[in-house]
Parts: sequence; structure tokens; C-alpha cells
Amino acid sequence: MIHHHPSTETLLAYAAGTLRAGHALVVSAHLEDCATCQQTTARLAALGGVLLDALPPDNLPADAFTRALAALEDINVPAAPPRGPARFPAHLPLPQALYGTRLGRWLWVGRGVYYSRVHLPWAPKEHVMLIRVAANHPVIAHSHGGREFTQILQGSYRDETGSYQQGDMAEENQETRHQPRAGEQGCLCLAALEDGVRLPWFKILAKRSAA
Amino acid sequence: MSAAGGPVPDAASLAALIARVAVMQDKQAYAALFKYYAPRVKTYLRRGGLDSNAADEVTQEVMLLLWRKTASFDPARAVASTWVFAIARNARIDHVRRIHALPPVPQSVMASPCSAEAQMMNEENVVRLREALATLNFEQQQIMQMFFLAETPHSAIAAALNLPLGTVKSRIRLAMTRLRQLLREDEP
Repeated sequence: MIHHHPSTETLLAYAAGTLRAGHALVVSAHLEDCATCQQTTARLAALGGVLLDALPPDNLPADAFTRALAALEDINVPAAPPRGPARFPAHLPLPQALYGTRLGRWLWVGRGVYYSRVHLPWAPKEHVMLIRVAANHPVIAHSHGGREFTQILQGSYRDETGSYQQGDMAEENQETRHQPRAGEQGCLCLAALEDGVRLPWFKILAKRSAA
Repeated sequence: MSAAGGPVPDAASLAALIARVAVMQDKQAYAALFKYYAPRVKTYLRRGGLDSNAADEVTQEVMLLLWRKTASFDPARAVASTWVFAIARNARIDHVRRIHALPPVPQSVMASPCSAEAQMMNEENVVRLREALATLNFEQQQIMQMFFLAETPHSAIAAALNLPLGTVKSRIRLAMTRLRQLLREDEP
């Protein structure tokens, strides 16, 4: 049972294609297992069609249609590239959304806490990461420069704002200062940050992981 | 090509046109789709921040993708314009990536109106959605439209309407609350 979902505003931005790449990745991971949010997103995507219908038509170059027809002749419809199985560590329950990303090596960042940078080739500046926390271990207290989205892939954690289980997605903002603590099964999370975590050693860590 | 003229086709006839392209590569059907969608897609791209030339290029691309992807259109799962919007939205995102010499975004991380997981959003639902949208007041409609179409939502809206960012955020929240209620009422 999923208790924490992305906000409707977030799903709207996702459907509109205006959510930044890192956050969109985490939302995709959430949608894979959340029928409720799939349904909401389908409705919000339909809003895009409704708004498109309502737009006033713009003027196209006189030869626009002729050009399109000529281009059709050139198309040898190529088969869609196969969405082959993602080559990920088999022992980790990673979402399909991570397909096409590159996972950095795991780095030890504190007692029982590991970090792996997720590189998005289509958005290299986005700060996305996998965080693994051993059972009952705390993550050091931190605040955020912007919005942080966290999808729980396995296990659970608890912080000042509540308890998060597998399948839940947490949206934190710059007002949140929290100290998450993993549950009895430990915790594996996918997180995307907006402007980084407010921790002095974090930038050094991110650089090391990028290497 | 002239943008105006002719009656606006309804969702069912647009879907039928797409089916004719999919099944028999019917160029007449394609011409009708082009006439309806291409000028609107261009407006969408212009509002998303593209200049006229870039918008023309990406519109061409969208219309080619439309031709190539018709087989993936499932009228039981999505309405024609929802499907075209998704193609245009993805093309806009990839255009921005290309400018920065970046690879395209995988389809798996974009909202898909036609995927197997997507819930039925049939024509009847879309009609209700359109009606729901019409019950929002002008200000809320305007903000919903800008939120959906602008590249940098909040700040772009604030600049265009000459409002403080906080006001824009609270108005979006208001519109969202209203819309959420309408979407719930929509449930069977």
C-alpha cells in the first residue's frame, strides 16, 4: 500500500514535460508501481490535448506541407531501438526508469550509508543518486537547497515528517531539515536534488563519484 | 499553407484520420491531420520559447513523427490530441537537448498517453475534462495554460503576468485544488 505520492502539481508538470530531468526520473520510478498516480497522470496528460485543441493556429511557411510529404518518401521507418534489459546489479530492485542511465560506483559516506551517483546522459548536470542505508542506521541530518524527490525502492525509513515504505515517494523542499533513519530492513532510495544538499563534504563526494 | 479555414474536426474524426494513416498510409487523411495539427503545434512550440524558424523545423519533425507513429496510437487508450500533444512535448524537450548536444530523453521517463499502463482516458472523459476546465475562472484558466505550455513555468508566468512569484505559486495551487476536485468528480 502506497501512502506518499507526488503532489498533483508535480504530476501536472511531469505530464506537461516541464519537470526537470532528475525529478522526472524519480516520478517515472514512482509511476511504475503506483496505479493511482498512473491514472492521475493519464488525466493530466489529456489536459495537454485539450489545451492543444484550444490553441490559436499559427502561420506555417507556404511549402510546409509539400516538404513534409517529400520527407515521408524518404522515410524507411526504422524499427524502434530494442529496449533491452537494463544491465544493473541483479541483487538490487532497480526501476526501469533507470534504463539508459549510468550508475557510479558505490561510495561509503558514513556508518552504514552508501551513495552511488546516477548519471543521466541526456541531462548530465542533474543530481540524481541511489542511497543505501543499513538497517536502523541514521543518515546525517541535512537540509536542501531546493526540492528533493525520493522514491523508496526497498525497505523503509522514517524522519521528522513521517514514515516512508517501499513504493512511497517523498517530496521535500528547502524548508525541510531532516534526519532520516532506515527501518529494520534497511533502505534503498532513488533521489533527485535541485540545488544539492547543504552539507560541507557533499560536493567533494559528488566529484569523487563522478570520476 | 493557410492556418485558418474549415470546420474544426471532432476527436472521433481525428482518431479516424489517424487510423487511415496507420492502416493504409492515406495521404489525404494525413493532409487533414497536418492542416489541423501543424499550426497548433507551432503555436505550442512558440509559447514554449522557440523562435519562429525553430518552431517551423520542430513542427515538421512532429508531423513526420505523427506519420511514423500512427501504429502506436490506440484510440481505446488515448484521444487523438492527447497523443499528438505528447509527441510535440517530447519533440520540444529533445530539441532543447539537441541544442546542448545531448542525447534524447528515453521514452521510459516521459509521461505516455498510450502505454499499456495508462488508464483509459477515452473521449467521454476528455469531454468532461474540457467542461471542467471551462468552469475555472479566466485567471485560473490562463495560469493552467501557461503552466502547461511554458518552458520555465513559475518564473515565466510571473514575468508575463507581471506578478510576484509567490502570487503565481498560490494561484497555481488554487487552480490545482479546483482541478483536483473536478478530476475526482469525474470518477465513475
